Amino acid sequence: MSSSESKYRPPTKEILSKEQLEQFQASETHAAIIAYIQRLNESVVGVRLTDPCDESEAVKAIIGVLDSVAHLATETPPVDNAGSRFGNPAFRDFYDKVKASSKELHSRIAGIPEDSVQEISLYFEESWGNRTRIDYGSGMELNFLCWLYCLERLGVLRPEDDRAVVVRIFWRYIGVMRVLQSTYWLEPAGSHGVWGLDDYHFLPFLFGSAQLRGHRHLRPKSIHDNEILEEFSKDYMYLACIQFINSIKTAHGTKSTRV
Amino acid sequence: MIANLDKQIEQLKRCETISEAEVKQLCLQAREILVEEGNVQYVDSPVTICGDIHGQFWDLMELFSVGGMCPETNYLFMGDFVDRGFFSVETFLLLLAFKVRYPDRITLIRGNHESRQITQVYGFYDECHRKYGSSTVWLQIFKLLTKYAQLIGNKKYLMMVLCVIFFGLIRMRYKAGVYRRRGAGFLFGGDAVRSFARMNDIELLARAHQLAMEGYKHMFDNLIVTVWSAPNYCYRCGNVASILELDENLRQEYKVFVHAPSDARSIPAKRAPPEYFL
Repeated sequence: MSSSESKYRPPTKEILSKEQLEQFQASETHAAIIAYIQRLNESVVGVRLTDPCDESEAVKAIIGVLDSVAHLATETPPVDNAGSRFGNPAFRDFYDKVKASSKELHSRIAGIPEDSVQEISLYFEESWGNRTRIDYGSGMELNFLCWLYCLERLGVLRPEDDRAVVVRIFWRYIGVMRVLQSTYWLEPAGSHGVWGLDDYHFLPFLFGSAQLRGHRHLRPKSIHDNEILEEFSKDYMYLACIQFINSIKTAHGTKSTRV
Repeated sequence: MIANLDKQIEQLKRCETISEAEVKQLCLQAREILVEEGNVQYVDSPVTICGDIHGQFWDLMELFSVGGMCPETNYLFMGDFVDRGFFSVETFLLLLAFKVRYPDRITLIRGNHESRQITQVYGFYDECHRKYGSSTVWLQIFKLLTKYAQLIGNKKYLMMVLCVIFFGLIRMRYKAGVYRRRGAGFLFGGDAVRSFARMNDIELLARAHQLAMEGYKHMFDNLIVTVWSAPNYCYRCGNVASILELDENLRQEYKVFVHAPSDARSIPAKRAPPEYFL
């Protein structure tokens, strides 16, 4: 089926002006994406990363795809970058490999209509960083979320999968991103500096806070206690993220943020 | 009045904020000076050109120790004074106070972060609230900057030109033309840059806005240089920073510097956190 006959088409950039952004913010699509994030969020209230979690065939297949992406990074080591350590050009090769493998990777997930791949694959391909700028920001994270949402709309992922989508799929994505960020020295895109916790990500803090909601002992100020981080980061996304920030920020780690 | 200004400068050099009333007065005085400046400002050499600061006050002090203090050194700052760092308020007010006190010894260009919208997201607005308890100071500063922009002749076109020159992303691989990459930005390739330089008889385009690991980066046969003046950006990038010194004969010298030593003063004492963090 050619793309002119298909109801699917490759996405194009449409939000270019303030007015278009406002239009988008008032749209059904925007409301639907927010609703999906909220639904995912609610599904992990009080849930630990280490708790048992059923994984459907779709969830397993998607995790397999993420493993393959990680493997592509292993096969694409950083190059000598005398010009500037930040933004290793090997990232572009990695990006191109993901793009080239995209169709095959999608074929491993049962239930995706073949002609929909031309539309949904763009979100997947843009989840890893910007090819030109060799940077990464929360916009790319949103691309990944949109890809998941597309899979939901296609019926590949179902509401029963919500918990696994967060604590298995999304958390695995974060793991892959940490590797890419450090391997290729991705520049933080749109970081809030000391006015935010993380230079790259937003959703793990949102979902992470849902996990901790109602916890009997842990409170937000627990993030300053290294022993708590040591003990509980395996269970809770939020704490794992803080621990990661501490390990890479120079100077004073979480002390170097106003948050 | 000058004595007052000198007192404020000394205070700001210690990274101590001045009062809300003093900020208002400073902005009014700055406005009177900026009104007189042209839309394209001629700056005499020797001059030292600096890039993004992003509220990294103690690193700005390092910059001054390397390049010399104002007014002994003639400076040109290319904007992005605020957001991301701890001390956007003190950074911006010090530079503004220098401008009012020594108007011919410092030139301040507006960066893309000197904007109401951007600063509400990237930290300056929050910092003003933290330090002054309200958005009054933030509003005063943006009244000044907005007025300044309005006074620049054929505004939209020229601001866009300035935006284009100073904010445009430049990528080595694009040979020709101008590309629209994002809603608010443009990407320029080598041919566009060369053509612009040729048409305007320009020898060197200095700009900021892009992180340069080694502090500065040349492109397109040294026609463009990116000068980046915020070391160890975001406490993780591990980059050095630089300033570009142009002497009387416009000979270029780049001075590179690292971030200020991490000590007690570089991390401000925590105030009571907002209620939701208790």
